[in-house]
Amino acid sequence: MSDNNKLKIGIYELTGCAGDALLILDCEMELLDIFNAVDIQSFLMAKSDNIDGDLDVALVEGSVSTEREIEELKDIRKRSSIVVAFGLCATVGGIQARFSEEEWTQNLKEVYGDTEMTHTKAVHSKPIDAYINVDFYLPGCPVGKDQFLNFFTRVVQGAPPESYPVPVCVTCKYNENDCLLNKGIPCLGPLTADGCGSVCPNHDVPCYGCWGPAEGANLTSEYHLLQEKGFDIEAIKKRMSNYSGSKFQEFFEQFKNKESK
Amino acid sequence: MKVVGIDHLARVEGNGGIHATIDGKVVSDVKFTINEGPRLIEKLVLGRTPEEDASMSPRICAICTCSHKNAVLRALENAMDITISRKAYLLREIMHMGEFVESHSLHTFYLALPDFLGFPNAIAMASEYGFEVKIALEMKHYGNHIMKVTNGRFIHGENAVVGGFGKWPTQEELLFIKERALQFMPFVFKTVDLFCGIDYPGVPVAETQYMCCEPGDDKYGFWGDEILISTGEKYFRDDYTKVTNEFVVPHSFAKHSLYNGNAYTVGPLARIVNLGERLQGETGKMFQKYYNDSWKTNPFYHNPSRALEIMFAFERIPELVDEFLKLEDEAPRKEYTPKDGKGTGLVEAPRGLLIHHHEVTDGKVSFADIITPTAQNAADIERYGHIAAQALLDQGKGDEDIRRHLDIVVRAYDPCISCSAHMAKIRNAPENDWQLRLAEVKDQGSPVFIGIGNPSLGDDAAGIEMARAMKQQGVENVWLESEIEENDGLGTEDNGQPFILLDAVDLQETPGKVTLLPMQIVLQNSALSHKILPIVSEVLNPRQMQNAYLLGIQAGSLVEGEGISPSVLQAMERVLRQLSN
Repeated sequence: MSDNNKLKIGIYELTGCAGDALLILDCEMELLDIFNAVDIQSFLMAKSDNIDGDLDVALVEGSVSTEREIEELKDIRKRSSIVVAFGLCATVGGIQARFSEEEWTQNLKEVYGDTEMTHTKAVHSKPIDAYINVDFYLPGCPVGKDQFLNFFTRVVQGAPPESYPVPVCVTCKYNENDCLLNKGIPCLGPLTADGCGSVCPNHDVPCYGCWGPAEGANLTSEYHLLQEKGFDIEAIKKRMSNYSGSKFQEFFEQFKNKESK
Repeated sequence: MKVVGIDHLARVEGNGGIHATIDGKVVSDVKFTINEGPRLIEKLVLGRTPEEDASMSPRICAICTCSHKNAVLRALENAMDITISRKAYLLREIMHMGEFVESHSLHTFYLALPDFLGFPNAIAMASEYGFEVKIALEMKHYGNHIMKVTNGRFIHGENAVVGGFGKWPTQEELLFIKERALQFMPFVFKTVDLFCGIDYPGVPVAETQYMCCEPGDDKYGFWGDEILISTGEKYFRDDYTKVTNEFVVPHSFAKHSLYNGNAYTVGPLARIVNLGERLQGETGKMFQKYYNDSWKTNPFYHNPSRALEIMFAFERIPELVDEFLKLEDEAPRKEYTPKDGKGTGLVEAPRGLLIHHHEVTDGKVSFADIITPTAQNAADIERYGHIAAQALLDQGKGDEDIRRHLDIVVRAYDPCISCSAHMAKIRNAPENDWQLRLAEVKDQGSPVFIGIGNPSLGDDAAGIEMARAMKQQGVENVWLESEIEENDGLGTEDNGQPFILLDAVDLQETPGKVTLLPMQIVLQNSALSHKILPIVSEVLNPRQMQNAYLLGIQAGSLVEGEGISPSVLQAMERVLRQLSN
């Protein structure tokens, strides 16, 4: 707590699109209240007078993709009571964590040649829990605005954040959309974590899976359902791997034929 | 020698820094560094469907997400010969305007203005400038609202798809957008007056080349099928590599883009310089009122340019909505079957020219090349940073002043480091790179050669010895360092011919490695410039300097009284063979 009894908060960006930090600035109508409700000690995108001291809550966005970020992350963990993986990249490593270590090394070489960076060394992208203990996860690409405000108000009051255990499909039904799967369109709604409010199916666009795999989904059952409907399971898996980062292997473990267990 | 700088630039998008190396009274080097790791997005989309590519590529950047979306869609649609409907075209333009309003209002009021009014951030500024902060937040919110209505979400929306859109917004939603645009106009005028009225710092001042999309039809706009350069040249979209040719500079591991061997600027100032005369309506009047030649040589004028573009967007949005609503209803997306092809999409992101090139083979993406504005601006950010740091040092300013000034110079470009991180790729130059570049230089005319170095310091004799050998072979216009006098133009007629300095260099390479570098780059490298600068500045005029090059051989041993080492001798033979061709 700071002197004025406000929670000390730090917002940090590792490797990613900066969308989760930007999302906070996108809460335009709530922004002044947010800055008043807590003591924001560090937020590079928004302010110059940043202090790297002890924190009550650290929001960490982005995947860990350089050696320097590993050090930075460990330092944030040491200074913070609560660390939150903020957004898809921090939670599962983001799209950049899909490659295996071997593929990554090969592709890095193709793109950057043999030249080594002077200021830091690139490492295979991983979610932040590959290096530190994480207290809460807030997935999303980027995190939803309602999801963030909900999280923020609860944490400020000392309550744990709400979890979103259901897949996009559930919200999509609440929104009374026509099911795209029934039209033969490969939608990842049944497999993907909710939090976006089924925004893509609301627009007649199939879900791309950008919140990562849904924890509560019965993946084995979904596998059979999609197979029965005639979808190309390999194409679905490939599509699902786009936004599942380093967690897609775990996901594939459950998303398969019952008999092959 | 000391390094002054900022490890983590604040109030920019993404994580980057800038550092100036100060060697006594000289700023020998300025580096713009990118702290983020590589994401390899151009590789991640390979083997994916065009739809998945269009979803993933914009993930490069949150703030330019609609620009990336429009660029990747234009590229894929060009690749697969898909023509979208006029309605879809207009809606994409409305979406793009939303991003400009959002990004420009965020940058001008929240990231830049605190610098000029002396606050650490916009929230602190609210105590004195409550009205501006509040209304600007509403303006930013409005930009986001447009992106949400058109693209489904304000960051990484997915409503814009290959062939058009998933769904059209409703008439009510669009009319609301139009009404709000009109309501904002009084504050928009205030914005232009505010940012055009600021007394911007007088350093750095230098000329540069400006590059942007040619919107066509003598209009101002944020996309096109050609690249327009302030020198007057135009290039068709598929020829983009001729413009942005990537250059590996020895002093930095960020890839730079150079046009005609020189750094260039993209972004709001580039558009205003190249296209400002085309502005109509109130924006046209404001342009005529405030624009003058000093804008062309000072990057701080990116800020008033942004303000003019905010006004342009607010004037354009109602026109777009009106035209959209007048058109007959039709399906929001064109159905298509993927076909093989290559396509390039050019758009102006708020921070400048964004190029997407995507190729489709058998229904899957087979190649992707993405060139972002901040990667293109990197060379000019360093150059202007260098000029500013040197000017302040000459004025006797201390480290803290230099650091603070560098910070605001970088910020003027509104750099998007998230974007550039994915562009900071190095394409290792091929072994014969210098030969290719030499051929290009020789195409400009018969070069004047100057051999330089210390003949009795081991490999440092290489430049002198090569010049001597050429003289013996009867090559014309060859000079030794000892033969040249001040300002005599080397006795040759100035007919625009290139100048090539022959020298042994120390770039920490394998001994005998040959490099051909434009003088502009040489002079920004501390390891090279200390030796070269006194010679070229005495002999060459500024115009000749633009067309001067250093042909350097990496030295192995520099021992007084010793001869040239075998690896350097071999390299000299290779160079001489090439020069006599």
